[in-house]
Amino acid sequence: MFSDVNWTVFFMQLFFGLALGSIFVLLASGLSIIYGLLDVVNFAHGTFAMLGAYAVFVAVSLSGSFAVGIISAVAIVALIGVLVELFLLKPLYGKDPLLPLLLTFGLSVAVPDLVKIVFGLTGKPVAYPEGLSGATLAGPLILSNYRLFIIVFTLVILISLWLFLKKSDLGMIIRAATRDSLMVQVLGTNTSRIWTIGFALGTGLAALAGAIAVPMLAATPDMGVEMTMTAFVVTVVGGLGSLGGAIVGGLLIGVIVAFTSLVAGEYSNVAMYFCMAVILLIRPRGLFGESGRE
Amino acid sequence: MKRKTGTTVSRRNFLKGAAIGGAALAGGGIPFIVRMAHAKEGVVKYGTMHPLTGPYSALGTDQRNATQLAVEEWNAKGGVLGHKIEWVHRDDQLNGAVALRRVKELVEEEKCGFIGGTLSGAISLAINEFANKNRIPYVAYCQSDMVLGSDQGKYGFAFMVIPYSAALATSKYAFEKLGKKWFSLTADYRWGQSLLEGWIWQSQQMGGQFLGNVYHPLGATDYSTYLTRIMAAKPEVLVMNNLGADQTAAIKQMSELGLTKSMKVVCTKTAMTTMKEAGAAYDENIMGGMTFYWGLKDKYPGAKKFMDTYMKKFGQPIEQDGESGYVATNALFMAMEKAGTVTDKEKIVAALEGLKYTLTKGPEVVRACDHQREQSYLLVKGKGKKAQGWDLADIVAEIPGASIIMSCEDNAKKLPFANVKLP
Repeated sequence: MFSDVNWTVFFMQLFFGLALGSIFVLLASGLSIIYGLLDVVNFAHGTFAMLGAYAVFVAVSLSGSFAVGIISAVAIVALIGVLVELFLLKPLYGKDPLLPLLLTFGLSVAVPDLVKIVFGLTGKPVAYPEGLSGATLAGPLILSNYRLFIIVFTLVILISLWLFLKKSDLGMIIRAATRDSLMVQVLGTNTSRIWTIGFALGTGLAALAGAIAVPMLAATPDMGVEMTMTAFVVTVVGGLGSLGGAIVGGLLIGVIVAFTSLVAGEYSNVAMYFCMAVILLIRPRGLFGESGRE
Repeated sequence: MKRKTGTTVSRRNFLKGAAIGGAALAGGGIPFIVRMAHAKEGVVKYGTMHPLTGPYSALGTDQRNATQLAVEEWNAKGGVLGHKIEWVHRDDQLNGAVALRRVKELVEEEKCGFIGGTLSGAISLAINEFANKNRIPYVAYCQSDMVLGSDQGKYGFAFMVIPYSAALATSKYAFEKLGKKWFSLTADYRWGQSLLEGWIWQSQQMGGQFLGNVYHPLGATDYSTYLTRIMAAKPEVLVMNNLGADQTAAIKQMSELGLTKSMKVVCTKTAMTTMKEAGAAYDENIMGGMTFYWGLKDKYPGAKKFMDTYMKKFGQPIEQDGESGYVATNALFMAMEKAGTVTDKEKIVAALEGLKYTLTKGPEVVRACDHQREQSYLLVKGKGKKAQGWDLADIVAEIPGASIIMSCEDNAKKLPFANVKLP
């Protein structure tokens, strides 16, 4: 059976998996909200996360504070999201559903090139925030303070998001519009504004994921590609348009990647896609996908 | 008015879209615009390939700039034997299939008589095969196995060290100065495995204690999940056989857990871009191997001249992958001068064999038996928070080329590494 060391390894791996999964959750919940509300398959989702990472770099360089960095990243990218929705996506509504997909795909190619022109080909570093560096010892476990922060922070964001969607008037309208936007419109609500807000919310969450991931990596122009793919995998596993699905899917994928890294490191990326394939075979609508959706 | 009612994106379309987009992302790139060209009389036509898009575009750009500088310098002094040099380059996207298409364009459409470049060892093997089949001299800029065993060819020349030499140089230093208990983190592809073979072989020779290896896929973003095993093994030296974003993320996440303080990290090959991207995490506990660092300009007049001109033109120092391109391009034209011809490829190849020159480091030679540039390997260590601008590292040691190059006989048979068993 497991020796003590093996249990230590097990819990360490679980911890790392949950921290990794938390970032996936933020990424995927944004994608899920955008898809649920706007029916837009946002292929530039990782690109918005990348912009979040660069926004953190700029804000931290100017202010020296990581908190300011995160807040500015979300604000700036959500604002970019508003502009994209208003001026680029809106004209495509009601036309071929593949058009928004092509548009966002175009953004995912063009925006990184713009970033290269502005920031150069070499990535930009963001240091771990001063107060969150180092590790906490819990018995034999060495828990990185920053990863603990990621898990707690994600939890706080998700609870806030849940309260917002369940308890606030706006949240209720968003949920209603996700189910039946025509009816919401008939009842006298300007759904056009709701879509703008929804897109800003989704891209803001993507920025948040990029922002908290960047100290562990570096802000690079091409980092968005991988993040888009991950967000899609998690969304497909969890179920389209379902926030609960994004949460469970994200954590599940994070933990699967973590344990695959332990036993067969070279397959850690493959494991994610394998998991998606299995889910698609046995439960095509994803873990929490609504049965109403095809 | 709104699409909610009529044209809802179904799950099927979502997946279809995801698949199309995924394929497009993986394939990448913009359609290439074909330009027809004809060989001009009396012009030396040189074509190169570099990854100018994608994650390694910074290194690809260095290669391109270095080639441009070398060609301009030769043209400024009247070309080669009075013939003007015309240089064309292509983006190979660090993709083997794309690179093969590009090299065909360079040779068949652009009528290049000589080819060079590439940043990936795997791609260099494919280009080398093409070059030998078509009898076109090829100078590779990257670490490559093309000088080993059956991959050796008459027309291919490698201007960066082979992976084994990089591993021998770094491992020898590590076992002598840093500790004998080692663990490795290796990118799961041929280059990473070649480095690991080098380390294992050296470990056997020097009585090292190999505690284990973890393979990771190219482009893994999370390394914490690999670190658990490393923490449990408690090595004195952690070896990184990876590059680029992989190396950056691994270093950052090791520093996050304080691991860089409890063990020395040795990157068999590292880069200035990695130091830039890792920032303060790339500190004095991190060492890395390089064939060239701009700091060499304090040691060699050739390096000083090269770096001063390059900095003036491009505003930043060059990476090793660019420096090898500068040397390769120069060596090719020097060989033409030595051979007294710009057209007779057999004579030019013969002149490249055994070519002696002093360019960016000490005196070097292109070894005749296996077409490999014999050169030193540097070990640098990071400066962490003290790094400023491009002052990113200190040179710790320069290991002479003669001590890390394998014998002609061994290279022909791929020994001794062919016998190493990988975990």
